[in-house]
Amino acid sequence: MSPDTITLSSVQNRAQERFAETGWPAKKAEAWKYTSLENLVSASLQPANDISGAVATPKEIAGPHCRLVFHGGQFRDDLSDALPAGVRLVMLGDDESALAAIDELGASDNLVSRLTVAKMTAGISLQVAQGALIDRPVMLQFVGGAPAASSHPVIHIDIGDGAHFAYAEHHETNNRLSAPFIVVRVGAGAKLDHVKLQLENAATHHLGLTCLSLGERADVNSMSLSLGGALSRLETHVRLEGEYGELGLSSIYLGKNDQHHDMTTRVAHEVANCNSRQIIRGVLDDNARGVFQGQVRVAPHAQKTDGQQMSRALLLSRDAEADAKPELEIFADDVVCSHGATVGELDETHLFYLQSRGIDEAEARAMLIDAFLVEAVAEIRHQGFAELFRPFLSGWQVPHKG
Amino acid sequence: MALLEIKNLHARIGDTDILHGINLTINRGEVHAIMGPNGSGKSTLSYVLSGRNGYEITEGDILLDGESLLEMEADERARAGMFLAFQYPVELPGVGGMAFLRAAVNARLREQGEDEVDQLGFVKLVRAKANELGIKDDMLKRAVNVGFSGGEKKRYEILQMALLNPSIAILDETDSGLDIDALKIVSEGVNSQRGPEIGMVVITHYQRLLSHIVPDFVHILSAGKIVKTGDKSLALDVEENGYSDMMENANVA
Ligand SMILES: Nc1ncnc2c1ncn2[C@@H]1O[C@H](COP(=O)(O)OP(=O)(O)O)[C@@H](O)[C@H]1O
Ligand SMILES: [Mg+2]
Repeated sequence: MSPDTITLSSVQNRAQERFAETGWPAKKAEAWKYTSLENLVSASLQPANDISGAVATPKEIAGPHCRLVFHGGQFRDDLSDALPAGVRLVMLGDDESALAAIDELGASDNLVSRLTVAKMTAGISLQVAQGALIDRPVMLQFVGGAPAASSHPVIHIDIGDGAHFAYAEHHETNNRLSAPFIVVRVGAGAKLDHVKLQLENAATHHLGLTCLSLGERADVNSMSLSLGGALSRLETHVRLEGEYGELGLSSIYLGKNDQHHDMTTRVAHEVANCNSRQIIRGVLDDNARGVFQGQVRVAPHAQKTDGQQMSRALLLSRDAEADAKPELEIFADDVVCSHGATVGELDETHLFYLQSRGIDEAEARAMLIDAFLVEAVAEIRHQGFAELFRPFLSGWQVPHKG
Repeated sequence: MALLEIKNLHARIGDTDILHGINLTINRGEVHAIMGPNGSGKSTLSYVLSGRNGYEITEGDILLDGESLLEMEADERARAGMFLAFQYPVELPGVGGMAFLRAAVNARLREQGEDEVDQLGFVKLVRAKANELGIKDDMLKRAVNVGFSGGEKKRYEILQMALLNPSIAILDETDSGLDIDALKIVSEGVNSQRGPEIGMVVITHYQRLLSHIVPDFVHILSAGKIVKTGDKSLALDVEENGYSDMMENANVA
């Protein structure tokens, strides 16, 4: 099939066929070993098509960003802000190269890349012009929805060579399933800052897939926070395709009650001389469960790769659980790669030291949890995003029932 | 009324009895030294007084201003005026020093019904006190105790004491790890806080510290009991004759 015959419906048809073939992951599927979708599979989900209702932006999210609103799974041009000069928005169906990229990603056996394209509720493409230096961040806002609905937005972002771009994601829907599929091409010498806030409602399942490709000397700094939802999986695939690419891919998850947070990353060093660095921090209370699966693959000719990955989980309750599965697949010999995964509790000695200074237990715990997260938070390079991010961490803290 | 009264205090960790009936009364304005060999229970006593979890008090009582402390958590005791300078100050990676000091001071001020400190004024106050103790500005910016030398940690304990203005201060081997110059600076810091309102318990292994912080009373702790009490000359006895003589005599007596 030649790329000039590609259409939205052909891509969707293929995704439907692929999804029909593979369906939901089997219980024993290795990639879903720690995260069960049984609840979702048995639910009868309807792709959302609700475009009624007003959209209020929570004040914590307000800011100098340019909002693009997805409400009830639909893209709402009428509620969205005009984009800054240098950024163009077209419907996905009108962007053949975006369609081709999405079609290609659907070929690999991944749930979201098939399911979401098959059941697409909205599709847009953002094109950042070559060399454009965009100061004003774009905020992709996902809100609204209905308890039996699923939303499947597909977003393609193309960042032209040498451009600077920043976008944030705010997910706070009422859907049963929210499954955004975002594909980003970061051109040669381009710079991207990204932050994702997963603040879904308590009953929502969030299965997000983001696929990034980095050209030569591309520089990406990404931070994700998983805070809301009943069950979430934030999956990120990155391909370093040009030399001297720089990737910072960090995440924080905070779980309470019966929440389940899964952070899955797959970083492929395809060429030499790239750096990737992942700092993952999770805090789990009550019966919450956290999962980190991090695969780093270094291709045979990707010499001088520096790949770092460090995951730490802090359990605040005896019933909380954290699982980590780092996977290094290194086929080159001249590389510096490391990974580590730890699970621990608050240190009694640390608590006592703070309490011996008059700081009560709840505040002492909060200080130590902040301290546990600080290294990850420090990874956020974009000042505005760091400020956007922080209140959600302190807001999560509640006095502990000692 | 006595400031701190320790009455027939017995304490254990797990199945191990460590303190075997300690009696000690400290009045405002007094400095008491507790000396004793390693393992005699000095740090255990300091932890039990300050309310660390994991110690069981099997007998006796601790009264601060006539009120029993036994049911109070460590933070409540601290806000009531108790201060412990740790033998091994704890490193808190990620906890900013200034935020820590301010949280501690504010907790105490709130307890006393006073306004919290304003940030700018507080930074100035901390800098001034730190300067007196030879603590460099850059240390104040770091995480609590992280990357501090042994001596710096001890100075930082005394800085906290100066800021918190306790009514009873327990200094657990504040002299260990200090060279002679640092010992002088730290001792001056402690001495400048002596006064008619504060009681101090200075725990040490060596007489050296007590020639700088001159105590009113010296107690010898051995195997979880006070075996001898005297004035500052007792510390010199220990220096000359060691603990073993004294303990043997005490055991006979
Ligand atoms: N956590 C613990 N568990 C069991 N025994 C302990 C513990 N901490 C201290 N001890 C014991 O208690 C005794 C007193 O210790 P400590 O109070 O540290 O003495 P000092 O400060 O006088 O050197 C020692 O025999 C020590 O081994
Ligand atoms: Mg000791």
